Amino acid sequence: MGALKSLEEVYHIIDANFLQFCASRGIFSVEDFLVHDVSMLMASADKLSNSDRLKQGINQLVLITETYHQPWMNGLMLLEDREQNKHYISTGSESFDVLLQGGLREGHVTELVGPSSSGKTQVCFQVASNVALKKGNVVFFDSGNSFSPTRIKQMVTHISGSEENKVNGGVEEAMRHIECHAVFDIYTLLDLLHQLKLNLKSQSQKKSTELIIIDSISSLIAPILGGSNAQGHALMVSLGYLLKDLSHQHNIAVLVTNHMVSGEGGSLKPALGESWRNIPHVQLQLSQHHTTTNIYGVYILRHPYMASGKSVNFMIP
Amino acid sequence: MANKLISEMGLPKSIGHIFAARNIITAKDALSLTEFELMELLDVGLTQVTLAVALISEIASPPYQTVQSLLEQRMQNEYLTGHLPTHLKGLDLALFGGIPFGALTELVGPAGIGKTQVKKEGADGLFWLQFCLKMSVLATLPSCYGGLDGHVIYIDVESKFSSRRLIEIGLNSFPEIFHLEGMAKEMAGRITVLRPGSLSEFTESLQKIKVSLLQNQVKLLVVDSMAALVSGEYEQGPPRQHPLGWHISFIKSLAEFSRIPVVMTNQVRSRSATEISNYSFQGEKRDDCGNFDSHLVAALGIHWAHAVTIRLVLESRSGKRFIKVAKSPMSPPLSFPFKITSSGILLLNDDGIEMSGPQINAIDHQGHSDIILS
Amino acid sequence: MEVLKSPLSASQKGKLISAGYTSINLLSSVSPSHLALELKISEAEALEILKTVSDGSRSESTSTSCTIVKGAQSAWDMLQEEETLVRITTSSSDFDNILGGGISCKEVTEIGGVPGIGKTQLGIQLAVNVQIPFDYGGLGGKAIYIDTEGSFMVERALQIAEACGDDMAEYSRLYRKGFHSHEVKIQPKDFLENIFYFRVCSYTEQIALINYLDKFITDHKDVKVVIIDSITFHFRQDFDDMALRTRLLGGMALKLMKLARKFGVAVVVLNQVTTKYSDGSFHLALALGDSWSHASTNRIILHWNGNERYAYIDKSPSLRSASAPYSVTGKGIRDSPSNNKRIKNI
Repeated sequence: MGALKSLEEVYHIIDANFLQFCASRGIFSVEDFLVHDVSMLMASADKLSNSDRLKQGINQLVLITETYHQPWMNGLMLLEDREQNKHYISTGSESFDVLLQGGLREGHVTELVGPSSSGKTQVCFQVASNVALKKGNVVFFDSGNSFSPTRIKQMVTHISGSEENKVNGGVEEAMRHIECHAVFDIYTLLDLLHQLKLNLKSQSQKKSTELIIIDSISSLIAPILGGSNAQGHALMVSLGYLLKDLSHQHNIAVLVTNHMVSGEGGSLKPALGESWRNIPHVQLQLSQHHTTTNIYGVYILRHPYMASGKSVNFMIP
Repeated sequence: MANKLISEMGLPKSIGHIFAARNIITAKDALSLTEFELMELLDVGLTQVTLAVALISEIASPPYQTVQSLLEQRMQNEYLTGHLPTHLKGLDLALFGGIPFGALTELVGPAGIGKTQVKKEGADGLFWLQFCLKMSVLATLPSCYGGLDGHVIYIDVESKFSSRRLIEIGLNSFPEIFHLEGMAKEMAGRITVLRPGSLSEFTESLQKIKVSLLQNQVKLLVVDSMAALVSGEYEQGPPRQHPLGWHISFIKSLAEFSRIPVVMTNQVRSRSATEISNYSFQGEKRDDCGNFDSHLVAALGIHWAHAVTIRLVLESRSGKRFIKVAKSPMSPPLSFPFKITSSGILLLNDDGIEMSGPQINAIDHQGHSDIILS
Repeated sequence: MEVLKSPLSASQKGKLISAGYTSINLLSSVSPSHLALELKISEAEALEILKTVSDGSRSESTSTSCTIVKGAQSAWDMLQEEETLVRITTSSSDFDNILGGGISCKEVTEIGGVPGIGKTQLGIQLAVNVQIPFDYGGLGGKAIYIDTEGSFMVERALQIAEACGDDMAEYSRLYRKGFHSHEVKIQPKDFLENIFYFRVCSYTEQIALINYLDKFITDHKDVKVVIIDSITFHFRQDFDDMALRTRLLGGMALKLMKLARKFGVAVVVLNQVTTKYSDGSFHLALALGDSWSHASTNRIILHWNGNERYAYIDKSPSLRSASAPYSVTGKGIRDSPSNNKRIKNI
């Protein structure tokens, strides 16, 4: 969309004359057109000499705008889409999967919150290893220099060892399915996600990306919030919607991690505040049980169709 | 460097004006904002902000020196590569020549008991007082006698400084100088004693000192005692702002810029049963090095302890007295047994005993409770 | 990509959007003069805008590389790379063991502990050890030492450098007799020559220097370790606005990580401890608060355990939580004398 002028080349009906007509009513872009009442425009076009041609132009514009919105879907179609395309991705821990009724859902943005060393990154690694072993692609955005290929190798070997698909080179193949990009500012992240979106559109069937991980999203967003800027907020929200859009359109599970900071009275709360809370579909809180074991606890803070408050323990090898 | 003016940094004119218009005048103003905040405030794009910040940063950065050139410079310009010898041989060896210039040296021991005890030679409570006085004498001595030939500023919080004792110490340690006509008077005259009565007065005198340090060839700053200034504020818990936070950094910068040694005393208090000495991963086990009654800790807490470069602790264990090098970036933890003779302090062993374990931080006073109480 | 998300200033974005350029694709064929006329801005500014957005849209062209996102690396390739990386030894084999061989390059490692536990000594040791040549299993790099507390002691650095030189001579005498003839002992002077020392006196200087390091390391490519002793000092004094402190520290953490990643240097950040209230009791914890605790890749706490100094891995994406004893001697950091093999894997 954008300026009406840009449509001039494609649609001959939108000519200089028509543009002038629009400009005289303060309409320069498609957005401007949308906020005007079409019947009023028609009526004012009637008064002019070349009314037919102008009306054709208006109709053309209406048609153009209609192709831009998402198609209407009813509940049945949504359910179908969900059952056919939105699969569960196993977290690799049985009890964790049971808690989530199958695992992370494609089409959902899942957020892990927890204090430092509560197992957030370890869960990310484990989910990634699991997906990669089943030949799904994983894109890992790392903002904390915490991506450790050595650890991934350990996990991949562990998982493939416990099942019987222990083939030589299986580890290498799985690890080739995980790709990592270091990201240190939000603009780079937005840029990369857009690029990813375009690539997914153009080569939809060739490679299936099943999982996007951003570890951690809060260290990118926290520096732009605060102070007195509304722009930071706008960027955060648009990042949120971009993630939701990606996950829904391309049937990808998105996994992000969020820090915890001390709130009032010393209790911990997620680092990104109320306005971010609405973005992730699922919010899970992690904690490490004893500092000396590899048993972790997970607790549902927020879920679209499950009661919050349930929790289980799981182990990371 | 933090106060360098942005207008003098040679930024492109267009962006320089914007900084000025938004009242961002110094490097500190600019760098106290994140790049994103600058974009917002200045209403310019990220590329321009990044470029401007890079340039400001480059200019505001301190210059570097290789450690070798630093070493050469110290060897050339400074007496004993920047150390004031304590004339306690073992201790001087461990500290590479003495109390270092440009750093904070903390002396930890029981608080002085007061003037009535002055006559009781060697009481631990006055040990560090004596030590401070001796260091003052050493700093004022002519360089031909191994001194620094300078002035001393002595901040005496508890009114313990005594000129008579100073001269006594001088007479005992350097009889050949102090018996010279008028010498004792001149030495004593080079020591300026300040007696702030409260924390705010102390703050004031510190600010005044800054100027005189450079004007008057001051070669030593003594603060006796730091802890007395904030007595009653030892409560546990997470203090958001340390009461001495400003003073710590100010004194450090004083030491650094005038390259003088700073000696300060700290008191001890008995260790409370709830003393924090464990991380959460260590669980609840208490460390078991002795019963708590006989253990003391430095009065100013952990925040303060981080700030000092060297910490010397006075303690007594099974009838012997020790000086411990409890914190020092230059030596392993050592402990020196000593005794006090008529001519002053005498180390019994110049090699020191290497200490193991956290006892280097604990302050023992077994068998000498009389000293603390009396 | 929408104009809204591009790194332009708010007013530029506003002008573009009101002129109908909501997406940067629309700007691809616009000339600067045309844009200048349309937005009523100078031609130079228009050119600036077009340059910024074309940087964004260039990356949008579908990449032909095998990765989904341009510039990404597969975990397998990273593993191959990581396995060839040399780590910086701490001079204590027990300590090295729990670290998987030493301090890792390309990562930010935070080390904290109570006063007098040996943080500065470890810092100096690393600045010396990074210079051990390839032939001896080292990195042959240089070091940057950022001193915020004024606790760096040149004499101690000299002592540690001498000991390191002696150890290397000893090593070559024992294991490399054949090379003995043309072996030249590294002089302590050479070690000290390769440590770049910065003294930082305020938090502004600290931020400025960390920004500037990017350029400095570009000019001094052989720098392999950056030691900051300590990150905490200036941020613990004179800071009233805690939210600002958190933002500045957050920004600094990202920059340090970027440095580590971009130049393959090890960034070692020393931190102080403070008391923290949690679970109903007070504990020691590293300073600077919860949000900072996420800033480093690895977090190591030095602590007393009975009569020995121990290093404990508090947090690491790749290492198991473990602890090992070490000691501080006249020569620097060394193995704990009392127990040579007693690493506890917990």
